[in-house]
Amino acid sequence: MEGVGAAVAFWTLAGVTLFAAAGIMFSRNLLHAVLLLILTFIGIAGFFVLLSAEFLAMAQVIIYVGAIAVLVLFAVLLTPRAGRDNGESKMLLPAVLLAVCLGAVVLFVITDTSWNTVPSAPAVEHEPKVAASDLGEALLSTWILPFELASVLLTAALVGAILLVRSPEEEAEDMPS
Amino acid sequence: MAPPVLVTDHWYDFRDLGNLSSRLLESLADVLPQGAVYVLAAVIGFVASFVIFVLPSQLFVGVYGERKLIARVQSRYGPNRVGPFGLLQPIADTIKLMQKEALTPKSADRALMYAAPALFVAPCVLLFAVIPFGPNMVFADTSVSLLFYVAISALPVISAFIAGWSHNNKYSVFGSVRMVAMAISYEVPLVLGLLGIVLFTGTLSLQGITIWQKELDIWLVVLQPIALAIFFIGVSAELNRTPTDIAEAESEIVAGYLTEYSGMKWGLFYGMDIGYALAASAFAATVFLGGWTLFGLERWVPPWIIFIGKTHLFYALFIWTRGTLPRLRIDQLMGFAWKFMLPLALVNLVMVATERMFWVEQAADDSVVYVFALVNIVAAGALVYAWSRILGYRPEDYPTKARLVETAGGYVPIESAKGGAQ
Amino acid sequence: MSGIVRSEPFTLNIGPQHPSTHGVFRVKVTVDGEKIVDAEMVMGYLHRAMEKLAEERTYTQNIPFTDRADYLSSMSNNLGYVLAVEKLAGIQVPPRGNAIRVIMAELQRIANHCMAAGTFINDTGAWQTPVMWTFREREKIIDLFEMTSGARLTCNYMRIGGVAFDLPREFEPRARQLLEGLPGFFDEFEGLLVQNEIFLARTRGVGVVPPETAINASLSGPMLRASGVAWDIRKADPYCGYENYDFQIPLGYQGDSFDRFLVRIEEMRQSARIIGQALDGLPGGPHSTQVPLALRPPAGDAYARVEGPKGELGYYIVSDEGPSPYRFHIRAPSFINLSVLKEMVVGGTVADAVVSLGSIDIVIGEVDR
Repeated sequence: MEGVGAAVAFWTLAGVTLFAAAGIMFSRNLLHAVLLLILTFIGIAGFFVLLSAEFLAMAQVIIYVGAIAVLVLFAVLLTPRAGRDNGESKMLLPAVLLAVCLGAVVLFVITDTSWNTVPSAPAVEHEPKVAASDLGEALLSTWILPFELASVLLTAALVGAILLVRSPEEEAEDMPS
Repeated sequence: MAPPVLVTDHWYDFRDLGNLSSRLLESLADVLPQGAVYVLAAVIGFVASFVIFVLPSQLFVGVYGERKLIARVQSRYGPNRVGPFGLLQPIADTIKLMQKEALTPKSADRALMYAAPALFVAPCVLLFAVIPFGPNMVFADTSVSLLFYVAISALPVISAFIAGWSHNNKYSVFGSVRMVAMAISYEVPLVLGLLGIVLFTGTLSLQGITIWQKELDIWLVVLQPIALAIFFIGVSAELNRTPTDIAEAESEIVAGYLTEYSGMKWGLFYGMDIGYALAASAFAATVFLGGWTLFGLERWVPPWIIFIGKTHLFYALFIWTRGTLPRLRIDQLMGFAWKFMLPLALVNLVMVATERMFWVEQAADDSVVYVFALVNIVAAGALVYAWSRILGYRPEDYPTKARLVETAGGYVPIESAKGGAQ
Repeated sequence: MSGIVRSEPFTLNIGPQHPSTHGVFRVKVTVDGEKIVDAEMVMGYLHRAMEKLAEERTYTQNIPFTDRADYLSSMSNNLGYVLAVEKLAGIQVPPRGNAIRVIMAELQRIANHCMAAGTFINDTGAWQTPVMWTFREREKIIDLFEMTSGARLTCNYMRIGGVAFDLPREFEPRARQLLEGLPGFFDEFEGLLVQNEIFLARTRGVGVVPPETAINASLSGPMLRASGVAWDIRKADPYCGYENYDFQIPLGYQGDSFDRFLVRIEEMRQSARIIGQALDGLPGGPHSTQVPLALRPPAGDAYARVEGPKGELGYYIVSDEGPSPYRFHIRAPSFINLSVLKEMVVGGTVADAVVSLGSIDIVIGEVDR
């Protein structure tokens, strides 16, 4: 995407997402951290829209915000009150060192790669978009095996979740007696 | 993209307000600095869709119309004191709410409690950005508008949860947890029902769906009645309207996640309840009822009036069920979503996919869609009845009258005295 | 595996300020997840020392007192009290007085059941629609009360030896008009609800009272009859000439909340039958016997009971030849019926508890006196 609007949107989204990510690290309250995580997800969805992948943006919101964030909220809800502090830890110095090393590696990779850039945006009035139908076709022809494996994994997770929350009476019912 | 419905290019033709706004933006694009026209476009979109359409609909149809309609269902008058026919009642309500003291409990989370109403209002405004009011009157004609609706309608669930949590009140948390569990349960059959629609129309864009219905001269409600039924029930559950409003009424005795809100904060929640219901009605009017088309009438009658009429018609359906039905328990609601609606949605999907495959592969004529409509309507009735009987609905097993005996004499076991009807 | 997740029961207060407890009444439930494991009732928020205060007033002055015990069915309260005093003092009531008493008691039964059925469905969540419909009929009945006795709710109409005033001229046409409309209304109301899937799901199997428990706990009224026990004081121990009228006793099937609802609707129908028969055979003559103003019944005690709309309403009066009773005790049906609340509620959810409580049809004025 090109134009002033896109640039303004990019910088705004970048600022919001980075601020939210920093907030997750530095906030004391675990619930505030989860909410800032949701803001980060929405920011990433905005980036997807900027890259003309609108289907992915909507899928990001539905899956990450609508389902995964809710799951994290429930998990926070079920922890006892004392464990909800996002507080100090003894591993601060090693963690900072590790983060600096990782950041250096990533920066080196970014500056050393030769990106395929063009001097200015190509003059097309209609950029090729990733339409939902293209995604569907790709999932069911080229990438059929990962798709099926993912569905098997989800089914296993579903069965496991149901098994985990059965009460002892229900388990006793199903034991071969 | 849109076929020429309105052969007009005048900016003063109020049948197509898109003309007016595009002329305005074009003329101002030379004057304003580069990029500011985007902001102006957003403002115009907001004013046109939200301020001009949604806000008056919320006040006069949502608050006033709902109270009048429910009152008539209950054989009484509704508000009729404030202004002629009680029409100024919503204004009186708003003024009352604004001047109320907004109490905040001392140990509540202030930041979250203040942020939650704002976070509840924002997705509602966003939803109206993709609803097509007319052939040129849609603010953001993305190619995934349907998915946009589903995605954004997951956001108020989070803000309602935050609202309940921030009160520091265990009953509010209970209400929030119930509401979230119900909302995510009902999203699954909802999306599956909408998938059937997408299979037929081949596009995820709301404007595209409207034009598909216009080109084939058929409304999707007759083509897929099961999808409409699933959508209606699913969206009632998401919006916490009776018969599925456990989250805010009777939930652990007090008002659930709205317990500690008072004044305009509560007013925002209440108003946006109506706002989300209007958004769902607008969405249903677009997808199921044909949107701004009315079999050719949209050439003379402004299409946005047709659209608004259909939205309010669908909203009246919400009001009607609210006044008539009692409320279900939470475990009955969950059972209903997972055991009844989900299999029904899946069977509907299979049926629709078969029909679509037949249509495309046999390269059949477009009028075969009427045959599909007939088949689908019959199948809908049969499927719902058969599935409910399989799940154990046997109305002939329930007594409808008490049994009658003549003399008083102690316990009468059930087999011996058969009185009354059946 | 499920021992990893530990859940703790916590205590919840239903009431005393609550839209569904029918008055100031508190139930402390201990909830484990969504299931109730224990329930404790706390009553007494409306205790007004009625029984003690009655010892200071004469027998006739106590009649308005009884109005306010069960303030929703004042005619039946009055009737029970004056029957007890008449039994104690050996006073005979003329036949016209008896017939008028029967008409008023049955009208009160219909009015009370209208309210009980309406608020019961209110508790299941139907936003006041059934209440508004039943209150339409109740308004017509209360208009009749106002025409006769001067008051809508606390009528103070029965007197020792008969009734206070004779029926006015407009009473009979209005009552007949009401009786014509009632069967249609009952059919419409029943038709809307009895096969409503949501209503059935909320009330069937909720708050079940087996017949042995009902008899052992001395329940009475619609609660007893819904469990299948055919016991109605109008048939078993008739008073005021009830043996001359032709009516039937409705019984339930398994003692759940739905059965209580069915029994109440059917009782309303039978009451309409009785009123029709009473109006047809209304005898002439005086409407009450003359009774001295400061009545001093002989020493002794008497217990009289009526089939009130909520159950067996009994009055136990002990006299010591003074102008006031020595002891005045009300056997309140709501109070006795409430004693099975714990069995009804334990094992269900809080929503079910609210529905069960609504189906017992209590009035806190009677429970606490």
